[in-house]
Amino acid sequence: MTKKILLIEDEAELRETMVEYLMGEKFEVVAAIDGQSGLEMTQKELPDLILLDIILPKMDGFTVLEEIKKNEKTRHIPVILLTNLESMENIQKAIEKGAYAYLIKADFKLEEVAKKIKEVLKM
Amino acid sequence: MKFINDFNLRKQAEELGVSVWQTPGFLSIIMGFVSVVIMTATYFVSKNYDNPQVLIASECLVVVVVLIIGTSISRFVWQMADLNRMKSEFVAVASHQLRTPLSAIRWEIELLLTKMKKGLDEKQVQKLENIAILSHRMTRLVNDLLDVARIDQNKLILRGQDFDLAKLAQEMLDEAISAYEDRHICVSLDIKKQLPTVVGDVDKIKLVLDNLISNAFKYTTSGGKIHISLFQKDKEIVFEIDDNGVGIPREQIDRVFEKFFRSDNAIKYQTEGTGLGLYISKNIIEQLGGHIWFQSIENVGSKFSFSLPVAKNSNKLI
Repeated sequence: MTKKILLIEDEAELRETMVEYLMGEKFEVVAAIDGQSGLEMTQKELPDLILLDIILPKMDGFTVLEEIKKNEKTRHIPVILLTNLESMENIQKAIEKGAYAYLIKADFKLEEVAKKIKEVLKM
Repeated sequence: MKFINDFNLRKQAEELGVSVWQTPGFLSIIMGFVSVVIMTATYFVSKNYDNPQVLIASECLVVVVVLIIGTSISRFVWQMADLNRMKSEFVAVASHQLRTPLSAIRWEIELLLTKMKKGLDEKQVQKLENIAILSHRMTRLVNDLLDVARIDQNKLILRGQDFDLAKLAQEMLDEAISAYEDRHICVSLDIKKQLPTVVGDVDKIKLVLDNLISNAFKYTTSGGKIHISLFQKDKEIVFEIDDNGVGIPREQIDRVFEKFFRSDNAIKYQTEGTGLGLYISKNIIEQLGGHIWFQSIENVGSKFSFSLPVAKNSNKLI
């Protein structure tokens, strides 16, 4: 069965590129352009995995993560933070709030991101 | 020595970017001087005047002087803290703002070269591959500069996890061998089997390995030799890379791990390079509890080594 990925990313170029790449990897991809709509889509779409940026309009990534983990219906969904914001405090905060992984966009190829997703989804 | 340095006012002023009378050393001297004057004055005032008004006036004066000096010291400390905060903010902002467009460029090219390759001719593919290499180099440079800024602030980001150094070294080496295929360098390997895992940050160690391996390839002439070995010594795993390349001149050996240092023959042989790789590598290895060292003879070759502690819970201990 095709796995559904929700991508929450405000940068249009990055979002488009990732959606196209992941669709090429045979995933079903839905995307949100800000934190608020990302959270709404999480509840509506119930994806198999979420790729979440941190700096987002309307609601930042950490709050989105917190809300996902608070909700009984969405708690089980693995969340990978995908950002260029790199600090020890943020990495620790992400782990505490229940993120599965914290990846730095600049250090990862799309191929490696896809590999990570497959690893989490045991594909 | 540190004590003497505390009173080298000119040097302090230069380092902190303030005038001599604003340096902490100068303010301490003034503070000391004022204390002596106050003590002497209080002694004389109490001895020669019975008038309480004079005593109160002199005490007020003392309070004002101490307050002025104290305020300037605290203002100075605030200024320094402010500068430090601005530097940290700059690093955070720069890391985000510079790397976001860079990652977008790299991902766009990757998408083109993988999922949209159909219809591109050989020349176009080659041009895109060149852009990919250049944008990777740019990302690497930004990352290196950020790491240096973090090292300066004692804030290098290291994640601790157990990993298989032998597997990582083998992967990195395979990549290097294919990248430098045209150089016809003879590579030999001696990786001991069943080595235990080590503690460290995989991505940062990848960076260290990349620095050491690419240095060996870059500074070894065509037809040269590179030997790599990986073995356990007590509670550490040691990685060694030995080449018969250009080596480092004897008089520059002490400066190899300095920030921005590039040896004369390295520049002669290879113009590309920032002189940050070994500085960053040394800091990474040492902060992870390991050691890094080297031996080198000019025009004979170099051998760089590092060690990392074996992971406590390693299930492959021999």
